[in-house]
Amino acid sequence: MAEPSITWIQGATVVDSEGSREADVLFCDGKVRAVGAVGAMGDVPEGAAVVDGRGRILMPGLFDMNAHLREPGREDKEDMATGSAAAVQGGVTGLLAMPNTDPPVDSAGMVQSVTDLAAAKSPIPIFPAGCLTKSRAGAEMAAIGEMACLGVKLLTDDPSPVEDAQLLRRLMEYARGFDLIVASHATTPALVRGGSVNEGEVGYFLGLGGMPSMAEEIAIFRDVAIARHTGCRLHIQHVSSARGLEVIRRAKEEGIPVTCEATPLHLIFDDSAVCGYDTRFKMDPPLRAVEDREALLEGLRDGTVDVIASNHAPHSVFEKNTDFASAPFGASLFDTLLPALHHHVLAEGGLSLEILVEKFCLAPRRLLGLPEPGFREEAAVDAVLFNPADGTEVSQTFLKSRGCNNPFLGQTLQGRVEGVWLGEKRLLG
Amino acid sequence: MKVPPRKKDLIDIRSLSREEVEYLLESAKPFKELFSQSVKKVPTLQGKSVLTLFYEPSTRTRSSFEIAAKRLSADVTNFAVSTSAVVKGESILDTVDTLQAMRVDYVIVRHQASGVPGLIARHTRASVLNAGDGWHAHPTQALLDAFTLREVHPETAGRRVLIVGDLQHSRVARSTSRIFHMLGAEVAALGPGTLVPSHRPEWLRTFSNFEAAFAWRPDVIYLLRVQRERQHDQFFPSVHEYHHQYGVTAERLNRIRGEGIHIMHPGPVNRGVELVDAVMDYERTLINRQVENGIAVRMAVLYWLKPGTEERHG
Repeated sequence: MAEPSITWIQGATVVDSEGSREADVLFCDGKVRAVGAVGAMGDVPEGAAVVDGRGRILMPGLFDMNAHLREPGREDKEDMATGSAAAVQGGVTGLLAMPNTDPPVDSAGMVQSVTDLAAAKSPIPIFPAGCLTKSRAGAEMAAIGEMACLGVKLLTDDPSPVEDAQLLRRLMEYARGFDLIVASHATTPALVRGGSVNEGEVGYFLGLGGMPSMAEEIAIFRDVAIARHTGCRLHIQHVSSARGLEVIRRAKEEGIPVTCEATPLHLIFDDSAVCGYDTRFKMDPPLRAVEDREALLEGLRDGTVDVIASNHAPHSVFEKNTDFASAPFGASLFDTLLPALHHHVLAEGGLSLEILVEKFCLAPRRLLGLPEPGFREEAAVDAVLFNPADGTEVSQTFLKSRGCNNPFLGQTLQGRVEGVWLGEKRLLG
Repeated sequence: MKVPPRKKDLIDIRSLSREEVEYLLESAKPFKELFSQSVKKVPTLQGKSVLTLFYEPSTRTRSSFEIAAKRLSADVTNFAVSTSAVVKGESILDTVDTLQAMRVDYVIVRHQASGVPGLIARHTRASVLNAGDGWHAHPTQALLDAFTLREVHPETAGRRVLIVGDLQHSRVARSTSRIFHMLGAEVAALGPGTLVPSHRPEWLRTFSNFEAAFAWRPDVIYLLRVQRERQHDQFFPSVHEYHHQYGVTAERLNRIRGEGIHIMHPGPVNRGVELVDAVMDYERTLINRQVENGIAVRMAVLYWLKPGTEERHG
């Protein structure tokens, strides 16, 4: 049966760039037709699907600008179909795919191939990011201009930094001409070699090699200096340390064109989560100290942190179910994004809903030059209905991602994504 | 003495209570007395099977466990882990499945990666004894060290133990310092700045040279084994320099003798690096006694642990 072309969501708390208010919202043929005071819009139009929004939050869909989708190359971990399905149930309506696939996205041909795959397999738009260097090898420039012509907006060698400072300088000078964002996995390889956890007391007790936060701080310092010199837009990915964030704060005050993101896991957990050698909590950058976690939340509130992005990194069982040092870095997060943030951050007073919408829905789209969704007449429909009173039972059958490494598996999270609408389609619920 | 509820595994010292540690140290005593009898064997674990699974070469620890298990009348099998190929992480749980099928009761594990004995313990009903994992833990070494300390200093509270050497890469240092601290001793570390971790428990004080450490008046100096390859990783300039700065030289041995300080070492020793030859003949060197006590303590642990009954854990 075809979806009704009219949807009426009644009495929800509507949140977008205009702030939050109680309202009735009417979608018609993929556009927002009307937004009005609760009960003021008169009778239900014939054929409309009526959705009870009372006690729910109606917000734009999340845009995740740091996601590892694994296709092409490692479809055993994830592909465009499973990844996008998982993202939708976490409340995501658009994402930026990291280029560290196999082969990596370092040419126009690869950009086209990923774009085609996404169009065929994903119900939500997936934008490819391009590599900075050929094969992410850190030696030669990737086909930056060609990729920019196909619409690529951001370049990164994530999860590797560009170690050669001269090459990074050239890349930023060149990318500036195409108004591209150069994104950085900011770390100093020599300082983290052999490490698998934050260097700190937890790492000492576990007897695991450490990854000191100064590795991040030094790298951000370098990247920011090159951004100052070149004038290129710089985006620091998944910043994890208070000191690294402090370097960004000072750079922003100086007017250097730098932005940054934080991941939900770094907002929720500190390195004590690693105490049982649970490899789902092994990530790069690692979970850090309590003070670092608090600094990231403060950074979101004071504007230093621009964006929340998942760094979704699915892995297979055989890779993760091993000793901590041998396991690969990364956590699978898509399926549980909104419930996890609601349960562990919003419900505990760490962030307001308005800040969440700004950082996870609006800011990433603005950064990438995409239209900002919202509940105003004639805007394209891009909406998530979230029920904070219901729960999400994170079981193996609930998860749509192929990644075995969701840190919330086995828990019941407070809050549930009840509906996702994009254009004329209802994608969930 | 009251027996604390028996546990399935022994993975680290941190998961033992003071009461459990006291019990294990106490119950090792009759086992040690047994060694002076002509028949050193008791039938406690008759019909039980013990398997040693060593992913890292070791002669001493493996033999010590083997003797301990045999003196309890258990059947002991050495599972030959290929040492030629680098053992990949993913094969660990495959090996566990094999063990599960063999229905062994106790598995004694040594692995170069921290956390592996715990990982195995969660996947098998057998009791798992950690015989050393990465830099993480070596709980039976800690117990035998505590047993040995108690023999020379029955009142451990307030005793001072100076641990010398590479604490950063040492599971012995982590476990032994913790058990000494648990028993009320004061623990300090001395070593090159590169090998004393900057993040350490607040109760572990540090010294940067022997002179300051001697002034603290330690009762025991515990020397850690120096991995010679560390000099190639630029942790210290040379073995020669290490010996002069942090080793027990002939001059330092004189002072140690004069002050009646005991010397301990987990073995095997590097003569001319951690210590000069003469230390081995010094009457307060406890190194051989540590080896003997290791068997008694491991018997006590095997005796106390209780294999699970379920098919699978976790």
